[in-house]
Amino acid sequence: MNSTPVARNVFLCVAAISIASCGTETFTKTGSDATIESLRNFELAFIDEFAVPGKKFNAAAFNAKVNEGNAKFQQAIADEKFTARRPVLVDLKAQFDADAAHLKSKASRGKITPALASEMKKDVNKIYDHALGR
Amino acid sequence: MPSGDKKKRKKPSPKKSELDSALDQVGDESAAAAMKEFQDLLREAEGDASELVRQNADELERRLVLLKNQEIDKEDFDYFVENQKRDLRVFVDSQPAQAQERAEKLTLHVLEIAATKVVPVLIAMI
Repeated sequence: MNSTPVARNVFLCVAAISIASCGTETFTKTGSDATIESLRNFELAFIDEFAVPGKKFNAAAFNAKVNEGNAKFQQAIADEKFTARRPVLVDLKAQFDADAAHLKSKASRGKITPALASEMKKDVNKIYDHALGR
Repeated sequence: MPSGDKKKRKKPSPKKSELDSALDQVGDESAAAAMKEFQDLLREAEGDASELVRQNADELERRLVLLKNQEIDKEDFDYFVENQKRDLRVFVDSQPAQAQERAEKLTLHVLEIAATKVVPVLIAMI
């Protein structure tokens, strides 16, 4: 049986919208992945800068970096278009808060060890991999 | 899921680990029973089909050895356990109802025993 022109146009329209929305979602998710990778790199660099055994703790520099991190996470959460990703970003922000608190507590007392820095980075990489579904 | 994919399952090593050697030295009967329960659960987790369960067990064992060797302290250990718990809660909750109990036993419960029973024993050995 042949479909009418109206039915065929409706079908083509629905198909076009579906394809377009799929493309938008993929594009948005790719952008979101890049944001998460950028946050991962920021957090790893943060650990590299402050989890250094024997390094004198610079409270002003530490607080400035934490403020920079907070701003980055808040911006990422506000800009996230892929709504399912927002809770993931909130969880990553909670991890950043916990890392910063532990690092401050240890670094300010000169109690950073190489193993602490190394394990912290392993945790960061694992958590970000899970956030990206890997 | 903690059981299913058998391809990646790791065979428990017959060789004694550094942690086993330390825990086997525990003389007190009740503490030794708790250590045995922990070691059995850890071996079971390390041989589980789920990569996340195995990864958690490997991390826990590595960090207990770091604690014993004083490369990290108890504050660090507790902080890492909290990180692991935070990451695992999502995994346990996402398991089918019939698999949740086992997943919890091999992840969150193992971490709890490590923090409350194994760590004090290891610290006392230092």
